Amino acid sequence: MSCSPFDLKDYLLHELAGPRRVEVEEHVQNCPACREELDRLRLTQTALMSLGEEEMPRRIAFVSDPVFEAAPWRRVWAGFWGSGPRLGFASAALLSIAILVSALTRPAPAPVAGTVAVVRDSGMGSDEIDRRIQAAIAASEARQTRKAEELVKRIEDRDRRQLEALRLAAAQEVDYYRRNERVLAANYGALRPQEGDAR
Amino acid sequence: MIFRAVEDADLIQQAARGAVEAYNLLVSRWEKRVYNYLLRITGNREDALDLTQDVFLKAYQNLRKLDDPGRFAPWLYRIAHNEAYSMFRKRRPETDVDELEPESVEAGIAFGGSSVFPLELSLAVAGALERLSPDQREAVVLKIYQGFKFEEMAEILSCPVSTVKSRLYSAFDLLKAELAPIRTRGVS
Repeated sequence: MSCSPFDLKDYLLHELAGPRRVEVEEHVQNCPACREELDRLRLTQTALMSLGEEEMPRRIAFVSDPVFEAAPWRRVWAGFWGSGPRLGFASAALLSIAILVSALTRPAPAPVAGTVAVVRDSGMGSDEIDRRIQAAIAASEARQTRKAEELVKRIEDRDRRQLEALRLAAAQEVDYYRRNERVLAANYGALRPQEGDAR
Repeated sequence: MIFRAVEDADLIQQAARGAVEAYNLLVSRWEKRVYNYLLRITGNREDALDLTQDVFLKAYQNLRKLDDPGRFAPWLYRIAHNEAYSMFRKRRPETDVDELEPESVEAGIAFGGSSVFPLELSLAVAGALERLSPDQREAVVLKIYQGFKFEEMAEILSCPVSTVKSRLYSAFDLLKAELAPIRTRGVS
């Protein structure tokens, strides 16, 4: 048991400030028990220091290959998206922006009630409305009739052209066969044996 | 010493900006110390070397998070401590961390490298260290062999300074009893 004013181990391990170290040193000079305790501590420390450090079996080194190393902006980008909270924050921010843009650019809803009011305020009676509807229907039917007539006319023209083309082709074919017939008849006449040859 | 500390701080700042050569120089200054620290607490050369590589890789990846380059050493040893205990947990997940013992110390590890002191003394010291608890042994290694202050040790071990002192001084009492026994005075 030490009677030193401060812990002798603190003194040994240099954990005491200057004035306290001096106090311990003065005490140890006059106290054989504490001096012996301090000697034993020093001996223990010296014994521990008998163990040396080992050399490393091999050295450690890192290599930098720019081919495999990401660009700085790419590292920042990867670092940003690699963080869950940041990703969540970015998603929330994007959603907020989308809602804001949608709210600012969306057209106002059509005033349905207003249209009804305009019709009501136009002062037209049901007869007038019926007349206009009938007129619109008549105009639409006239358009349809005109289109149908045009369509029939185009079909008739096409059929007529096709018929003429067929007649022309048939006439040419007839002409072709007649010419062949004349050629065959001429050839046959040339090849027919004369009456005196048989004998 | 101060000049060296400034140089380390410069290297740390350069390495944090991606200068691998600066980091390699920093590694060359610290690798032997970190390796020996890990060797003393794991008792296995191969584990110590693997862990040392992991420690420096992790340190490089997290160097930007180091606010004060002057605190590099305790920060680095904190990583080393965590890596070692992480390895212990993986190998024996059912064991309480406080009860973890390093694997059997390889022959020659604890007293390798010294030629000044007699071999018997080195053997005695190695045996005495082996009989300490892992916490006591690590406190001795950090204080005696690595020269950290109590505050730095508390940072590395993530515990109060009082706990650090308690572990170290109880270890010192045990070591003192073995390595510096009380001299018996002969009666004439």
